[in-house]
Amino acid sequence: MGIFLFQLSNPNTNVSIILPEVIVAVAGIVVMLYDTFFPKQRTVTGIISIVGLVLSAVVLLMMWSDGASAASAWGGMIANDNLRLSFSLVFLLVTAMTILISTVWIEREDVPIGEYHSLLLFATVGMMFMASGNDLVILFLGLETSSLATYVMAGLRRTDLRSNESAMKYFILGSFASAFLLYGMALIYGATGTTNVSEIAARVADPNFPALLLVGGAMLIIGFGFKVATVPFHVWTPDVYEGAPTPVTAFMASGPKTAAFASFVRVFVLGFPLVAGASASGYLHESWINALTIMAMLTMTVGNIAAIVQNNVKRMLAYSSIAHAGYALVGFVGAGMATTVEKRDAAIASVAFYMLTYAITNLGAFAVINLLAQKNDRRTEFEDYNGIGFKTPVLAFSLSLFMLSLLGLPLTAGFMGKVLVFRPALEAGNTMLTLLVIVALVNTAISAYYYLRLIVVMFFRERTDEWIAPRIPAALAVVLVITVLGVFYFGILSDNVIEKFSHSPGATIRAER
Amino acid sequence: MDLITENLLTILVLLPVVGALLTLGHAIFWKQEGGLKWITLGFTLVNFLLSLFLILDKGAASASGFFFEKNVPWIRAINTNYHVGVDGLSLWLVVLTTFIMPIAVLSTWHAIEKRPTAFYVFLLLLESAMLGVFVSLDLLVFYLFFEASLVPMFFLIGIWGGENRVYAAVKFFIYTALGSLLMLAAIIGLYYLHATATGVGTFDYVTLLNTMQAGALNFPAGSLNGTLLFFAFALAFAIKVPLFPFHTWLPDAHTEAPTAGSVVLAAVMLKMGTYGLMRFNFTLFPEASREFAYLFIILAIIGIIYGALVAMVQPDVKRLVAYSSVSHMGFVILGMFSFTELGMQGALYQMLNHGVSTGALFLLVGFIYERRHTRQISDFGGLSNVMPIYATIFVITAMSSIGLPFLNGFVGEFLIMLGMWNSTALSITSQVNWNYIATMFAGTGVIFAAVYLLWMIQRVFFGKITNQKNRGLRDLNWREIGLIAPLLFLMVYMGVYPRPFLEASKASVLAVQERVAGRQAGGTIEQANIHK
Repeated sequence: MGIFLFQLSNPNTNVSIILPEVIVAVAGIVVMLYDTFFPKQRTVTGIISIVGLVLSAVVLLMMWSDGASAASAWGGMIANDNLRLSFSLVFLLVTAMTILISTVWIEREDVPIGEYHSLLLFATVGMMFMASGNDLVILFLGLETSSLATYVMAGLRRTDLRSNESAMKYFILGSFASAFLLYGMALIYGATGTTNVSEIAARVADPNFPALLLVGGAMLIIGFGFKVATVPFHVWTPDVYEGAPTPVTAFMASGPKTAAFASFVRVFVLGFPLVAGASASGYLHESWINALTIMAMLTMTVGNIAAIVQNNVKRMLAYSSIAHAGYALVGFVGAGMATTVEKRDAAIASVAFYMLTYAITNLGAFAVINLLAQKNDRRTEFEDYNGIGFKTPVLAFSLSLFMLSLLGLPLTAGFMGKVLVFRPALEAGNTMLTLLVIVALVNTAISAYYYLRLIVVMFFRERTDEWIAPRIPAALAVVLVITVLGVFYFGILSDNVIEKFSHSPGATIRAER
Repeated sequence: MDLITENLLTILVLLPVVGALLTLGHAIFWKQEGGLKWITLGFTLVNFLLSLFLILDKGAASASGFFFEKNVPWIRAINTNYHVGVDGLSLWLVVLTTFIMPIAVLSTWHAIEKRPTAFYVFLLLLESAMLGVFVSLDLLVFYLFFEASLVPMFFLIGIWGGENRVYAAVKFFIYTALGSLLMLAAIIGLYYLHATATGVGTFDYVTLLNTMQAGALNFPAGSLNGTLLFFAFALAFAIKVPLFPFHTWLPDAHTEAPTAGSVVLAAVMLKMGTYGLMRFNFTLFPEASREFAYLFIILAIIGIIYGALVAMVQPDVKRLVAYSSVSHMGFVILGMFSFTELGMQGALYQMLNHGVSTGALFLLVGFIYERRHTRQISDFGGLSNVMPIYATIFVITAMSSIGLPFLNGFVGEFLIMLGMWNSTALSITSQVNWNYIATMFAGTGVIFAAVYLLWMIQRVFFGKITNQKNRGLRDLNWREIGLIAPLLFLMVYMGVYPRPFLEASKASVLAVQERVAGRQAGGTIEQANIHK
């Protein structure tokens, strides 16, 4: 105990800086213990989880406005910058929403509730470390924590073959990708002699073996590429998303994907910068920018074209999530090309903001789909949505709004997200990146077809058979209100959010002076 | 009162949204949809009356030449502002929009039985978006409204449209969205180019224009950036106009849309395209506009003649009017690209004329469709025997559309052709005066217009009643006469006394013309002497 107190006062092992993570972890443990002693109390574990998440978010926001909080701690293993804070907020939002969305499904399917909630919270802790870790080892630990929890959640519907298939595929392919990632990290360590991202950045100019650095970087791209589901490492996505329970799909598409982006951005943008005059870092930088640009183009195009031919709404959204990873990569590449720290931070903020808008829209869409799906996720085909528009106007119009936001129509969150990620890419003034933006715009036009299709099916077609609109439970009503307002809020009044996302705690003070 | 005049444009844009929310609330809390049309009518009428302040209480223009200007920061991270204002180019289009809306609402008084709440909500949202397009002076805000106007129209066509509505609605949406996305790319491109030229990126139209006029940012003729940006903007607008060969969405959308949708589409939404060309393409990319003027003139002439010829053979009255729009909007493009004061003023005037006359034609087609549930010319014949008032109004409207002197269409088309005749936009070679040839070809459009409209009138209204079902048709009632009367009044007024309209737009048109062509080119209104 005495040692622990000593550590608290030691600036290098600064517990306060990982307080948000600790709170969520504690909440997870409390949920698990509570479930052991008082099983089957759905509401209580849900409330504990949400209280933990909100508390963590409050602490995060306080750290943001607190200019005195350290920029890094734990011997440089934890970073406390705008990347960490903004992404972590997105995760907390995603998890809280997922818990609310799940209430319907939990009642319908009789899920082991305590395990489910604690798994969600542990996955969140992992994701938060993926954003705050400034060391390859921490990033890997975070990634594995979140992945393992997610594998289990994908298979929660034990009696359903599709859910089993989903979990199995996700687990095997995910482990395979983790192996690539770990191998890449080992090679990077070999080349630079450190696992700390900031120190890697300092040493890429003069690595031990330049070739190791390049191969290591390539391995990392494969590993992270799998986690964010970029083409050609995307093949698992549709099957896993379709088979997993709908709330878990909502979580996977918005949570772990965003977390993988956070680590991806940290390692590449902050860890592999362009150091002027050093040929080794020049090679590395040029290679990863080119690789990611091409991957982004492929990701958007393949995702959108495949989404057009889908007849299952969940599968359509799975492909659409692939496409959206492509759009986020546009901002990512733009961040890599940024010439000043301010521009770089603004570009990173644009990626975080894009994932925020995507997450909130996607969660809303999945909330509606989950409610309409009925037991065992039966009603998820396009034809199940025929003519339901005016039979359940609230759900149908909300779902239409989410589709328009995914499409990126003005006044919705999706539009603001797109404009923000395109800007840093165009600012680079590089032909290839300009081309990338044009590809992204053409893709947006292509995506109009399948997003509109859902609206067309719901509103413009007639339904012949009897269809009874589901009652909207309170928890889901809360989700709908938050997501609908969020879509408009981030589309119209996102000014302050973007400002905040662009600045690290210390920098905010400076900017306001 | 000051508060209202200072924020007049914002109020105009937001009032319909308030109306939409109220309509929604009314339907949810009172569970009855009877009073909805009164609420909607009330809001559109108030909006129209408020918009009259734009004409009456103009005050002095700001330094940038705009009235009722308002500029507040919106998203600071990307330096975009909520910047609105009107000048001569947009003034009449704003008033046209607010003027057409109550008429559109009245036209649906009994026609909308399915889902009236949603219908009126979408109609009001549409008004907001359209007004936003005409008043915004920040490119991103402009794009926002431009694109946002698609959604209500998409629903209007898709839910309340005819047989083939799904196809028409999706085609309309994707066609226009594709064009405007390219414009978005160009808008962000301009932002970036401005940032490299001056260090600060901006979406603000006035700032961009000032930078360009100061010479810090320009696109000399033939430059790749200038050409690409020009075409990205122009394509978005050309699809909206629609300019041949991007017109194929229009007949489908018009034919399938409900009457109110067609009226709004024809009267206002098509003008977004021509307005955008004049406002943004001409002033931001004058060199490229001059360089490619020939292309637009050729396409406009093809559009004029092709639209007229296709209109001639349509068996469906509504489709015929839709194709006549292609032809008439060709004239507008032609006038604009003449780069003469006459032609550009004529084009602006013709936009209003087309709004009034074609809007009226769609209304009239809607009246007969409500009675007979068919629009096929072959189902009618001899209607003037049973519906004399209807026939009279229809003929007057058709005459205005054809361009009979003393009706509005004549003034616009005459100015446009006069402008084209004097134009130097086509002075490619000195041997051939292409401007004369272009004017002559365009002139045939007027003749064709007479042919297709008069022929249709002859088949529908004159002779003996051929179809017994038409015998019992009742003539127009007071509501219908009342809502067409203001349009008829405008047709005559604008045909006899165009001066106030042209006077109000003159300064702005001259400014655009000076930017795009220099003052010396072409004739002036004074030389033509037609408004005195």
